[in-house]
Amino acid sequence: MEILRGFWNSPIGPKTTHFWGPVFNWSIPIAALLDTKKPPEMISGNMTAGLQKFMCGYSALFMRFAWMVQPRNLHLLVCHASNETVQLYQLSRWIKAQEYFLKKEEAETQGSKD
Amino acid sequence: MAFSKFQAFYNHPAGPKTIHFWAPTFKWALNIANVVDISTKPAETVSYPQQAALACSGLIWAKYSTVITPKNWNLLGVSFAMFATASYQLSRKIQHEFTNASTVAKEY
Repeated sequence: MEILRGFWNSPIGPKTTHFWGPVFNWSIPIAALLDTKKPPEMISGNMTAGLQKFMCGYSALFMRFAWMVQPRNLHLLVCHASNETVQLYQLSRWIKAQEYFLKKEEAETQGSKD
Repeated sequence: MAFSKFQAFYNHPAGPKTIHFWAPTFKWALNIANVVDISTKPAETVSYPQQAALACSGLIWAKYSTVITPKNWNLLGVSFAMFATASYQLSRKIQHEFTNASTVAKEY
């Protein structure tokens, strides 16, 4: 009970914006997590590939921001850390897909030559 | 005179030597992408949940930027702009649905 009351009355608790800002920011990593179920070809669309590289930088910056801001916002830090992880994973999938697509094109051109 | 103002900006606690400046500055790119989407993509492609989330989060972050230390006007500006562009996207989609619904009704 004491823990709950401590949380409820905390200066970065649910009565303050310090709490609800990061709550809404969770929509970003959750949307990205849902996207991991989709095939990597969908990442290679120009908007999504650019957006997703942007997100890697964005979350890195905001992790630092969450650490340096007063009061220190660990909730925000965790949110952006998880987004960073998902976005880097998506980036790795995209890079792997690029190699796969290049090999596929080579195989097709070789097949058409034969 | 101008140089001292520049110095004041440069040495500000939320100035370009700190993360408090660069994080919101990076966020402007997100806003610009949304604005580009407004002018290039048709209203059907607007996603209700995405724009609603951006609008709500923009509003909350605008409030947040006034209660943190240092007070971050850059973040306030970008969050409010986020709220404005996302609300506009939502209004586009709603208008599109209204006009389409009325044309469907006329067909019957």
